[in-house]
Amino acid sequence: MRGLVRYAWRALAARRARTLLTVIGISLGVGVLVAALGVDAGLDASIDRTVASMVGRADLRVTAFEETGLSAGTLEQLAAVPGVALTAPAIERKTFLASQAGRPVETAPVTVLGIDPSAEPRVRDLSLARGVALAPADGASALVTETLAATDGLELGDNLQILGMGAPLTVKITGVLRGDGPELGSGGRTVVLPIRTAQLLSVADGDTAPAQVGGVTRVDVVLAAGAPVDQVAASIGQALTLQPYVLSRPQDIASSLRASTLDIRSTMALLAAITLFAAAILILNTMAMTVVERIRELGLLRAAGAQRSQIVRVVVTQALVLGVAGSGVGIVVGTLLAYLAAAWLRASGQLAIEGPVIGPFAVLAGIGSGVGITLVAAVEPARRAAAVSPVAVLRVRSDTARLVRAHTGWLVVVVAVIGTAAVLLLPGGATDLAIPVRAVGVYVLLLVAVLLTPVLLAPLARLAGLPFAALLRLEERLARAAIRRDPGRTTLTVGALVIGLAMVVALASVAGSARVSATAWLADVVPGDEVLTAIAPAPVGPGGIDTQLSSIDGVALATPIASFDLAYAGTRLEAVAIRGADFLADGRLNFTAGDRTAALNALDGTGAIVLPAPRAARLGVGVGDTMAVATSQGLVNLKVVGLVARSFPGRTGDAVLVGWGDATSKFGVLGADAFAVRYAPGRQADAQPQVDALARQMALTASPVSAVAGAVGDALDRLFGLLDLLALAAVVIAALGIVNTLSMDTLERVREIGMLRAAGMSRIQVWRSVLVEAGILGAIGGLVGSVTGVLVGVLLSGGGGAAGPMSVVPWPTVALAIVLGVALAMLAAAQPARMAGRVPIPMAVRGE
Amino acid sequence: MTFQPTTADEASAPRRTVLPILEARSLTKQYRMPGEIVEAVRGVSLSVMPGEFVALMGPSGSGKSTLLQLLGGLDQPSSGEVLLEGEPIGRLSDSDATRLRRERTGFVFQSFNLVPLMNVVENVALPFTIAGQDPRSHELAGRVREAIALVDLTGKERHRPDQLSAGEQQRVAVARAIVTRPALLFADEPTGNLDFRTGLDILDALWRTCMERGQTIVLVTHDAKAAAYADRVFVVGDGQIQDEIVLGRRTDHAAAPLIARLALLGL
Repeated sequence: MRGLVRYAWRALAARRARTLLTVIGISLGVGVLVAALGVDAGLDASIDRTVASMVGRADLRVTAFEETGLSAGTLEQLAAVPGVALTAPAIERKTFLASQAGRPVETAPVTVLGIDPSAEPRVRDLSLARGVALAPADGASALVTETLAATDGLELGDNLQILGMGAPLTVKITGVLRGDGPELGSGGRTVVLPIRTAQLLSVADGDTAPAQVGGVTRVDVVLAAGAPVDQVAASIGQALTLQPYVLSRPQDIASSLRASTLDIRSTMALLAAITLFAAAILILNTMAMTVVERIRELGLLRAAGAQRSQIVRVVVTQALVLGVAGSGVGIVVGTLLAYLAAAWLRASGQLAIEGPVIGPFAVLAGIGSGVGITLVAAVEPARRAAAVSPVAVLRVRSDTARLVRAHTGWLVVVVAVIGTAAVLLLPGGATDLAIPVRAVGVYVLLLVAVLLTPVLLAPLARLAGLPFAALLRLEERLARAAIRRDPGRTTLTVGALVIGLAMVVALASVAGSARVSATAWLADVVPGDEVLTAIAPAPVGPGGIDTQLSSIDGVALATPIASFDLAYAGTRLEAVAIRGADFLADGRLNFTAGDRTAALNALDGTGAIVLPAPRAARLGVGVGDTMAVATSQGLVNLKVVGLVARSFPGRTGDAVLVGWGDATSKFGVLGADAFAVRYAPGRQADAQPQVDALARQMALTASPVSAVAGAVGDALDRLFGLLDLLALAAVVIAALGIVNTLSMDTLERVREIGMLRAAGMSRIQVWRSVLVEAGILGAIGGLVGSVTGVLVGVLLSGGGGAAGPMSVVPWPTVALAIVLGVALAMLAAAQPARMAGRVPIPMAVRGE
Repeated sequence: MTFQPTTADEASAPRRTVLPILEARSLTKQYRMPGEIVEAVRGVSLSVMPGEFVALMGPSGSGKSTLLQLLGGLDQPSSGEVLLEGEPIGRLSDSDATRLRRERTGFVFQSFNLVPLMNVVENVALPFTIAGQDPRSHELAGRVREAIALVDLTGKERHRPDQLSAGEQQRVAVARAIVTRPALLFADEPTGNLDFRTGLDILDALWRTCMERGQTIVLVTHDAKAAAYADRVFVVGDGQIQDEIVLGRRTDHAAAPLIARLALLGL
């Protein structure tokens, strides 16, 4: 046995280049898996830390539903609920710091967090870098984060002037919080004030400060020792009757944050599984080549008395060595890749991740999948090796059709194993059935594409060879002959390329769909050329910002927009307040049901609502139906007056549209979040400077609609750039497979090459024929991969992901995939081609 | 002036009033192996006349194939000189050697090495295609037809290699080697992979090219029956020409005279 193991080692050592390339291929597959798992665990850890930082020791959190916040009455009701030991209210709002002499003007907004200094320490620890904590609930002291202090040049003892609805509020910095502070999403620009002081920011000049704490954004609730959470939550549900609110537990917040990362995590996991698929093809091909190459030796071993099981052990030992080496390197590659991916995600601003976590699970999964898949992939070649007849050693080439069936048949088994493992490991698979269903669909599509390759090989090779034939006819013929020499091997070689390029095209398709979904509403919905956004509700109506904007010469229309939430049938419904007349005048909104004019006029009356058609279908309501919506004043009936194809985007789909009057009078909307400004034809150049000046004066951020589209596109590009990088790992694995296959082809064709050289073929012609062979393989991979990629893209886009059901064919990427396939294949072929060109004729033509 | 075939009764060597088409002078070939230098060819000198059928005969490892590769310009000698039609070919650059093989020599090997995707016509026309010529042109197409007819494969022009028997495949290889009308045709154990009957067919085909077209042939073989087709036989052993047996041109190709001579030599 030891002798056979030594033989297995020697077999690997004899083909160092192929062994190395295979190990690299396995390591890339394992690396992407480890990276995906590392990023996934990193996101989980970051979410857990974030939630812990957000809610501290609180057992429940009550969040205001309306912009007006939770009232003093609601706070009293909450504190009186049996089992509630402590309530820690907080006010959160965005504003600006007033510019002061001696400090540079910082235009970025800050988040003001008002806390109860006596209750807050019992809920969470505010970690101070220096200074002291807040003392009385109404003191004029403030804490700032280290980040804010660094960017704005703030020091302990400095006075801060904070802009509010009245005169700027002056507070003194008494402490500096570590790092970014407690507020997620503030970018570290947080000022913490006593809650009563923070409340003053909402008091206009001339008004008196309220006697009690109100307008609270959220309340963290600590339960009495032993109080059951479910029971207290039910009691809160019965006790809080004055206002709509959202009651959540820490795990709800964590689940919500996890849900927001599900798309990227499941896509990364799917890419990892697909990269392993490509790696498995490489391994299967390599092992099959090894068996074909050594078939005579194996036959001789059998003739010398070796048992079938011993031959199997030889092949399995080779696979084990490859798998262990590849997995080991893959863990290192994956760790590096995980840090790169985490940094990319952090830099892109898409996800809050502090760093990857390469835990024992990721390491074990990496080693297990690397070794496991290698062994599974080696089973068929091992079985074939064991089946070599001692008397058949002279039959080098077996029945190719049978080989193709054996290769592809076993490929199905390998894919089934990887697919099952992938579905089990897929994040979110347990909660959202659509994710594993989509993953299985993608796998089946890729598998079908690979299995169809041998069937279509001849016509595809002819088609892909046409451009080459126009220039290099002989080389093209020889290349096609070589490609068809072993359809099984060609299938596996092209298969990996098909998978890699399909994923590149699919991601481009999904990205295109996402871009269309994310930006199409701008032209379809927004009644303006420019959008001015406010960080706090901005006044509307006489003397309001919309009136001031409309009075600027050259502005045709300035309309307010405000987003808020509605409580309908126990769920949160995202809504946008609009003025119907303005949309009617500007021709926005595409109605799919209901009369457009009547519907928009109805919005300016009372009790009307317009729904996006997909959301109406989900809610099961139609035009003419009435929706009972909960408010602090009780239930309000809204009649559905129309359905639109597309509306403003919300977190969970397009928002419903409510008239401005209803929004302010019934749903607590205090002002506009944004203003859409439409310029009169040909007047934008004159009017825009005045609009922008007013925006600066009113602390509004002006963004041309085109810039919004560009920013959305840029954000998507950054996110998909990372996914493309992972998909390219599969393409690189395919390139390694091409190197292996062409090297093997060259070895097998050495006599033919020798004959051609003896017949007067030059080195450069031989070199070109191998390059053309690679080019044809690459073109086939590109063609099949593109078609498959478009189908996978449709499946991924239409499966309920962020991209929505609409899919586009990414023609530039399709062209790029074909060019990439050809170029990469030809690059991979450079060394085998050189090897072929240098085949010494005497050695090549030597007799048996 | 070309070599005039003699009658079967004339057991004399071809007339040597013309210049040899191929000449080897003190040819050696050494291979450096770990710890030793192996001399595969040691000081061989010989000449081949135009139209002559010459055989290099010897046992395995005698150096006969290496000698053929040196004579055909497939390999470079360590020392000595090879002259083809009076021109030295032993030190040609790769591109000049390639041109020489393309235009002036033809090779048939033990393995047929046909291109599987190409049919008989395309395989035979391969040297023209390699040279960038259009094998469908009137003249070249005629030469392809002629070569196919000479190896008796007319009617199988559209067959692919996998539709031909081993003997037919080797005949395609012969046709491919002679289609360019090379000055010299080298055949290295062309019957090595074939059964006795099929092997004779190949030797007959080579013989016909020699007889009907005046093709000069250098055949390497270890088989006395194959060597018996030659006008002259160089007996190769230990990297040297050990003897030269002149059989003359005969039509019966009986191996007995050769075997008798070999027996006299103790081979």
